[in-house]
Amino acid sequence: MNQTDKAKAFAELHLSGDPLILFNIWDAGSAQAVAKAGAKAIASGSASVAEAYGAQDGEDVPMEAALANAARIVGSVDLPVTIDFEGGYAVDPEETAGNVQRLAELGAIGCNFEDQVVGGQGMHDVDLQARRIAAVRAAVGPYFFINARTDYFLQARPDAHDSALADAAIDRVKAYAEAGASGFFIPGLTDLGLVERIVEASPLPVNAMTWPGAPSRREWADAGIARISYGPGPFRQMQDWLETAARAAFA
Amino acid sequence: MASKFERFAALHVPGDPVVLYNIWDVGSALAVERAGAKALATGSHPVADAQGWPDGQQVPLDFALANAKRIVDATDLPLTVDFESAYSDDPAQGGANVVRLAATGAVGCNFEDQVIGGEGLHPLEQQVERIAAIRSAVGDAFFINARTDLFLKTQTFDDALVDQAVERGKAFADAGASGFFVPRLADARQIERVVREVPLPLNVIAFPGAPPKAEWAAAGVARISHGPFPHRALMAKLEEMAREAIS
Repeated sequence: MNQTDKAKAFAELHLSGDPLILFNIWDAGSAQAVAKAGAKAIASGSASVAEAYGAQDGEDVPMEAALANAARIVGSVDLPVTIDFEGGYAVDPEETAGNVQRLAELGAIGCNFEDQVVGGQGMHDVDLQARRIAAVRAAVGPYFFINARTDYFLQARPDAHDSALADAAIDRVKAYAEAGASGFFIPGLTDLGLVERIVEASPLPVNAMTWPGAPSRREWADAGIARISYGPGPFRQMQDWLETAARAAFA
Repeated sequence: MASKFERFAALHVPGDPVVLYNIWDVGSALAVERAGAKALATGSHPVADAQGWPDGQQVPLDFALANAKRIVDATDLPLTVDFESAYSDDPAQGGANVVRLAATGAVGCNFEDQVIGGEGLHPLEQQVERIAAIRSAVGDAFFINARTDLFLKTQTFDDALVDQAVERGKAFADAGASGFFVPRLADARQIERVVREVPLPLNVIAFPGAPPKAEWAAAGVARISHGPFPHRALMAKLEEMAREAIS
């Protein structure tokens, strides 16, 4: 399958009510393990990549290292690969687009692209973020899956996740869809009523992040989610498992 | 206060082996440190597997060095790096490469005698020359764990093979090695003989189904490493968890 076919096949896996499951990885070895498990697609998580590398989340891994890691992941599996590219390593729309284009050129078929100000406070205003998305779309062509993430539900505490915040997210997804985004990612939101409200208003397939204690797969599906990702969970569980195994070896 | 190198060298006690649970990146280093490790050791195979490269110096030298530096920067524990064959058959170039490794802050390395990308082992005389060149280039405060691949190249672990291992171990010691590493040596009687005759602390690899640590300790082993097995076990666990999530 060429890159365009992979990107199209990946987009088709986003079915509201029958979500694509992405068990997030961080390097080529973990990508191969998850591929062997029967995954339909491979998705990196930026926090996991950073922790494995010895950096902090938030574009602390140098972009060249992040791109090289992405290229090794793409080269290690036949599956479609989407990369968590944080804020695209720039603020300026054109510069951001150039960076995402490099990601596309190395074979990734999509990326996460977030609206928080990386290394700063709060979120880019919706107009700027829409311009950033539009610039990325213009650079990468029609098939690259831009998973536009809103950080509202990570920046606000769960007890502040209310219908006003959901409506603000809905304004964002409408603007992002118009700018050319392919999907909408709402990590941090677990209130299923609000999830449904966003799904109903969203012109794009909606991606939830899950973890132990979050809603079940069935509940996400019933709320209309089209994609479930695991974020940093798999990496951290592996770190704990490795620690336990090492402790047993030292005993 | 003892240097990191001195702390690391002092951990090699025959009969009370230091256990090295091999790592491949900063994340795995920190997990193994939290488990109570006394020192950290990379394995070349897991470093390669984690990045999707084959073993056998297919990890680019610059990547291997940068990876070592990141691990050193992330922890206070001494780090030894599995440096395969020092990325050169030429003694002087091998020495220069190990100097670069030492500059990352690593306190030691594994250095093997198999011909990378070729057949068999380097002739003993040549391997001795390579070890001597590394020692002369890197100075005294660096733990050269000289590895023989004799047991990786055959299925016949007989007394004649142990004779050859002893001959290599003695020659490596004379050339300036700090330790002697014999992967796949596992038999307690054979270990005892190597320990008795080679004047270097002995390192063996634990593998699934290996004799208990106490048996190896009693035979005089000074260092037990785990090679590629921690990474393989972890990836098997990841696959299992992913299957559960996906199905």
